[in-house]
Parts: sequence; structure tokens; C-alpha cells
Amino acid sequence: MSRYRLTVNGTRREVEADADTPLLWVLRDGLGLKGSKYGCGVGVCGACTVLEGGREVRSCQVPIQAAGGRRFTTIEGLSRDGSHPCQEAWIAEDVAQCGYCQPGMILAAVSLLARSPRPTDAEVDAVFGEHVCRCGTYPRIRRAVGRAGKDRAVGRATESGAVGRASERGPAGHENKERARRKSAATDAGASITAPSAIAAGEPR
Amino acid sequence: MSASRRDFLKTAGLGGALLLLRVPMQGGADAGTPGPALSPGSPAGRFGPNKWITVAPDGRITLIAPRSEMGQGARTALAMILAEELEADWKSVVLEHAIPGLRFTGMRTSGSSSVSDAWRSLRVAGAAAREMLRTAAANVWAVPLEECRAENGTIRHLPTGRTRRYGDLVEAAAALPVPENPPLKDPNDFRLLGTRVPRVEGPDIVTGRAVYGLDARPAGALAACVARCPVPGGRALSFDAAAAEAIRGVRHVVAISTGVAVVADNTWAAMKGRDALIVTWDEGPNRSDTTETYWKRLEEASRASRVTRSSGDVGAALEGAPRRLDAEYRFSFQAHAPVEPMNCFADVRPGRCEIRVGTQAPNEAQAAAAKLLGIPLEAVTVHVTLLGGGFGRRLDYDYVPEAVELSRAIQAPVQIVWTRRDDFENDRFQPASIHGLSGGIDAGGQLVAWSHKMTSFHLTMFGPYAPENPDTYEGNPWGAYDNPYEIPNLRAEYAQARAPVPTGAWRAVDYPPSIFARESFLDEVAHAAGRDPVELRLALLRSPETVRIGERTLDRRRLSRVIALAAEKSSWTQPPAPVPGRRVGRGIAANVYHGRTHMAQTAEVSVGPGGDVRVHRMVCASDSGQIVNLSGLEAQVEGAILFGLSAALKTEITFRDGHVEQHNFRDYPVFQLPETPEIEVHAIESREAPSGMGEQGVPPAAPAVANAIFAATGKRVRRLPIRPEELRA
Repeated sequence: MSRYRLTVNGTRREVEADADTPLLWVLRDGLGLKGSKYGCGVGVCGACTVLEGGREVRSCQVPIQAAGGRRFTTIEGLSRDGSHPCQEAWIAEDVAQCGYCQPGMILAAVSLLARSPRPTDAEVDAVFGEHVCRCGTYPRIRRAVGRAGKDRAVGRATESGAVGRASERGPAGHENKERARRKSAATDAGASITAPSAIAAGEPR
Repeated sequence: MSASRRDFLKTAGLGGALLLLRVPMQGGADAGTPGPALSPGSPAGRFGPNKWITVAPDGRITLIAPRSEMGQGARTALAMILAEELEADWKSVVLEHAIPGLRFTGMRTSGSSSVSDAWRSLRVAGAAAREMLRTAAANVWAVPLEECRAENGTIRHLPTGRTRRYGDLVEAAAALPVPENPPLKDPNDFRLLGTRVPRVEGPDIVTGRAVYGLDARPAGALAACVARCPVPGGRALSFDAAAAEAIRGVRHVVAISTGVAVVADNTWAAMKGRDALIVTWDEGPNRSDTTETYWKRLEEASRASRVTRSSGDVGAALEGAPRRLDAEYRFSFQAHAPVEPMNCFADVRPGRCEIRVGTQAPNEAQAAAAKLLGIPLEAVTVHVTLLGGGFGRRLDYDYVPEAVELSRAIQAPVQIVWTRRDDFENDRFQPASIHGLSGGIDAGGQLVAWSHKMTSFHLTMFGPYAPENPDTYEGNPWGAYDNPYEIPNLRAEYAQARAPVPTGAWRAVDYPPSIFARESFLDEVAHAAGRDPVELRLALLRSPETVRIGERTLDRRRLSRVIALAAEKSSWTQPPAPVPGRRVGRGIAANVYHGRTHMAQTAEVSVGPGGDVRVHRMVCASDSGQIVNLSGLEAQVEGAILFGLSAALKTEITFRDGHVEQHNFRDYPVFQLPETPEIEVHAIESREAPSGMGEQGVPPAAPAVANAIFAATGKRVRRLPIRPEELRA
């Protein structure tokens, strides 16, 4: 049993776990963040997806010994209040059926839209072809991704960290400081000027 | 329903007075039609849950939902029905989940019946509460009742425009007598029903706050994994716990009825401990079985079939028909594969027990726990969480007594977590089935004789194998027995074999295999007779307009309408769009689910030179009575079609040396987004009582695709899943 430090949703956490414990179980059992789901345990279903630097990571495939020092965003850290454009699009398109796989789907969408705010069908296929929804919500996932991509907040956030820099370099007005503080509390992104763009999309609009 | 005075209570709690309305629900009988039996052999049950609706002084209206939510949108639909009649502000309606017990005795969620069971009761309940609130306002204002209108959570006095919120009228309303027959709204005045309303659980789902069974283990409680015999029917002979106990965090290694449990401080340690455990198994009677073994058992069992429906003289008509067709169809074993594997938390204390679980059968789970522990029903508290998929799997509750037994053994609260592989190996499978069909066509191209014999394994989920029990055959096989077509000589036959592995309800149960066979064979008949498959179906439904089959009356007009609509919306008379280098075709299939939900689907496919099938477009037309939540209805059809397509094109469960050969989504590859076709849903607006839509979209999908494949290739698919090698150019 060893101690590991990692940053989850902008907060530094220290956990004690066996080296081979998957990040998924550290999040769920250790940190009480149960929005990341166990579905297959072998990295094929995507229910355990979290973000690191805007990239999708299968948390069931990352042993904690490899996660030390890294920064992750889970569904709980995407926004404080469900106001991320992807979360809003998911509600607007009434995507979820049982909903179990949807945190992973939403984080996959956040990652995709950060890279490509108007993704082609092939890009959507490539990302979601690696996720499983047994309820068959795929038609609505496709629509929700399209809808979220039209949201200005996603578009802004794709300017590779520009939001984070502006907040911290801009005039030291109260509003910017407040935004930076709130963002920091809400997401993994605020504290760092190298904030991954996808995560910056979680900034309250 | 007649609400009685004692059904309304006034309570003084923290929040002050509440208007509580008790709603007796009587299942299918309440909706005016008998509810479908759950399965062959299950008693045609009446549902008897009570629901409680509360209107709080802050205006909040709480519906205590007695149905499990597994993605089918039942709880949203029920809340909409209540809000509609109550003229509630939709935003003020909240849900609590019922806790099974003496008060809530009929919480079983199955047969796509949640909405139809609740329809009349909830409307009457909402209307009664609305009338009491109106009367309360009229009394307060001392004005005639007719001048008071309920709207959006308030009562408005029309002449003066003054308003009063429901919450402010609760105390006055609670003192009033309950109207015996409150006026129900004219469906033309529905403002909520028939619209698209996002699921009530949506905000919790997208933020990760939604609680599924796997999320319901309290902090500090133990986690466990169970080593179960990999061959169904086997048992543990002995085990060596040393390696498992050497895993850090492992607390107990205990033999229980289902295998050997490894209990640990956290889930990962339990999984590792279970993997390290050495168990010697007696693999039991199935140890050398293969899938082929089970097909042979079906072939043998099919000789002992019973005729369950018969009209005319099928034998003579087949003999005398100038054209006779015979074909055999096969449907493979399938798994439910919900993304959340089975799990259950149990906390057994002296004389009582708490359970947290996602289940479709909370009362049965509670009873099983009480029986196991030898304590009264009310000493077992079952908290029903959200279900990360059900599809019929969670209608069984085998994983509940398993956790109860373990908690009792270790005297500590514990959650048993099934791994994905556990979930596949210990599913209650959709059994394989064989369908023998024969058809006779006369010189004029008319279908004059039809015989459909289904042979399947019994469903262990619903009780023991009972081939001599008449109930085994009554109304079966679904899809063959209730064949809606007018054929002068018609026969349905059923044979059952003892299931060698656990089996159970799989979304629409018998219909997916039987409708695959029936609707594919009807397509064969159409082509053999030189008739258009849509025209043939419509001709077979023309007269008489209704037909009594057993306890049900089928309305052929409603089925004809959806077939015609699906044909129209899919441009049936036009060829499908060409796909370069591929053969294209369109097919149709239809079904009536237990006499109530009418549906037709068309499929457009293309088949490559190597036989690979792509489904490009599915068009569904349905008539399920009054539409409650249009978004929910469309979602269920979309999901059910993809569920059906997975089994048609991609998945099957196979056995070797008694072992289930599929362990994960890699080897049980359910449909994913890239292959998902365009899906159109055309729901007919109707004033009939709502029927269900949770399962109904599954059965027509596979035969629509198989018929489209025939149109594209001239090759008839008679077993699922479809094998590309059989479709090479």
C-alpha cells in the first residue's frame, strides 16, 4: 500500500492504495466520486471515462501508480451545476435512457468538441465507436454532440487554453478574478494557464 | 376506482399540512383490459400497489413512484399523467421511489405495463385532488365552484382574476370530502400528454449524481466478489483461500449458496482476491455441453408439441395446396448485458435487514430476503435505486438473497459486485428456439394454410419446468398464438424443453424469436405467391376488422394503419437509394404486442460482396394509444430497434464444455454508434388508453432486416445472428 497524490476536479487528493488499483476504483471507493462507472473493466465500454488534459482516459485501465501527479476531471467536475454545454445539450436532446453510460459519453463529447467543435460524422463515429450504450441512445448522442458544438462556450474553449489565459492575464477586475476562482473551484482547469481547453469549457458562462 | 374518505389524510409534519392521496392501482384490470401474463407459466397477476401523492404547502407535488426506472422513462410518464389531471406546474412535481412492503405490494416492473397499469388510477387521483383544490378555493373566496379554474399549480377566480397557489389551499382541501367520480380532462385539452418532456432524472444523470445500485454502498461498507461455478449447474467442492487472503484488504473468504465469496475493504481487493482464490468445482451435468447439445435438445423436444390454437384443417389444406412452403427458423441464446452489472448491498442485523439494489422485482426481492432470514416482511427494507439497464434481467432477483446470505454470514454490511464476466456467465439468458413454419398457397395466390410451431426452453426465472401443466401452453407461443392475420386454416403449436442453463425474460420475451420467424416466413409466402409483402399483409388484415384470439381482441384496422404508414414513410413503392458496390433492399415486418401496441417497421439495408450487412434506415410506425411522453416513446423505439438489431446481426451466447463463451462486450458486440442507422418513429395519435412501448420495438426489427436482405440478395436468412458468409455475392 502506497500513498499517491493526484489532482481530481481541481483539488489535490492524497490516496492510499495498492499500486495496481485502477483509477476507477480509487475515484469510486476512495474518493466517493461515483459518477465514473464500472461497465466492463477492460477499457472497451467507456463508462469509466474521465478527462486528462482534455483527452479521454479509461479510468479502469490506469493503475494508480501511473496516475500519481496527474490531473483528472470526472463528470462531477465538469461544471458545478450541470451547465456545461454538453450537459445542457444532453438534457435538451433527452439523450439518457438508463443513463449509466452517459457520464462517459458526455466526457467523450467534451473531449471531441475541444479538438473539433464541428466534428464530422467520421470523427463522431471514431470517438463513440469506442463506447457502449445498451439502451441504444446513439441517435440522440449524435444530435447532442451537434447541438453542443454549436454552443459558443464550446467554441471559445477550443481556442486552446485561451479562456484560462484571458482570465488570469486580463485586467485585474473583480469579474475576471471571480470567474477564475469559480472556474478553479468547479473544474480542473482554473489553476493552471496550461489548462486543457476541453476542461475550460466547464467555465460558467 | 373509487377513492374513499380514508384515502385522504391530513397530516401535520415538519412542512405543515399535506394533502395525501392514496391511489389504489389495479393493474391491467384498471386500464380496462387484462394485463398480459408475464411469461409462459406465470400467473396472470393483478397489480395492487398503492401510491401516495402529496401536495405540500410549498406547492411541491410528490409522486411516490412504484415502478422501477431502468431507462424506459416510466417514472417521467407517470408524473406527467398525474400533473396533467392535477393541472400542476410540471416544475413543481418531484418523485420519490416507493419502498416495497405491505403498502406497496405490486411494484414489479415488467411487460411494458407501467403506464397502462397506472393510466386510469393516476388520472382519477389527479382529478380528485384538482377538484378538492378548486372547491377549497371556492370556499375560501365564497364564490361558485364554476368560477374557479385550476391552472398551472394555482386556482384562478375567473371573474376577478385572483389566484391562489395549490400550496396555500392544502389545509382547506384536506378537510373536504373526496369526489367519487371527479371529471377527467377532455383529451383534447391535454397540454402535457403527447408532448416531448425530458426525463426527470436527466439533470442527475448528466452531473453524475444519479444513484445506481453500484453507487449505493455506504462509505466504509465492505465489497465482495463471488466465485461461481463457470458451468451453470455446477458447485464448489472445495477451495483454498490462502492466496486470496494474502491480498491486502481481503477480510473474509466464505462459502455461500452461489459459490465462494471474497469480502474486502474495497472493490478492487475483492476482485483481486476472487481471482487469486483457488476453487475445485464439480462442473455438474452440463460439463461437456456445447451449443449444439442444446439445439439437439430442442429438436428432440419439438416432437412433443401441443396445438394451442387451431382453425380449419391445416393438414388437409397444406396437402391440397398447389404450392406448399416449409421452413425452419432459429434464434440463438442471447444475453441482456446491461452496462451496469448485477450488484446488491445488504446489511443484515438481528431481526432486520436493509437492502439497496436496482431491481425490477422489489417485492419478490424483499420476500426472498425475509424468507431466507426467517424474519417478517416488514423487517426487510428495500431501497430501489436506478437501474443501469434492466431489459428483463433484473426481473430476477437471484443477486439479492446472495448478498443477504453473505451479510448474515460475515455479520457486516456488504455489497456484492458482479464483474462483467460474472454478469455474462450468470445471466438469465434468452433461450434459443426453433420455429417450424408451413404455408399453403392456392392457385389464386391466396394464403390458405399456416402452421407455426415454436420449440423453446422453459424460463427458469418464472418457475420449474412443467411440460404437463396446461398453463405452459395457454396463450403460447406469443406471436404464433396471437397471429393477427386472417388465414382460413391456421395452427399454432408449442413445445418446451427443460432449460439447461438459467433463462428468463429478455425484452419482449417470446416475441423477438417468434416474430422473426413469422414475419420472415410471411415474406417467403409473399414472394412465392408473387405478391407485394405490404399488399399481402394488408389483404390478410382486411376482414373481419377485429378478431378474438383467446382473451384478447385484435384490432386489425390499427395494425393495417401502421403497416400502411410505415410503407408510406419509407417510400415503399420506390426502390431504395443505391449504394455503390453493394446490393440494396427494403423489407417490412409488423406485430401486435399482446393485442395492444401495434407496430410496423421497414428496414433499408445494403449487403457488400463479402456478405456484410449495413442497415441504413429504419422506419417505425406505431399505435400505442394515447401518447404520454412522445420523447420517451421515440427513445424506446430507437433503443428497442438497436436492441433487436444487435441480436439480428451481431450477438449470440454460445457454450463449450458447459462454459459460456462470451465474457465481455468484445465477444458480445452490441450495436455501437457508427453502425446505428437513421431511425424514424411515426407514432399515431390516438385516444385509446395507452399501451406500452418499452419492449415493443424489438420484435419487428430483425425480420424487417432479414426481409430487406432477401430483397437485396435473394438469400433467405433463417437463423440469427445473420452470418455474412451466407450472403456472399
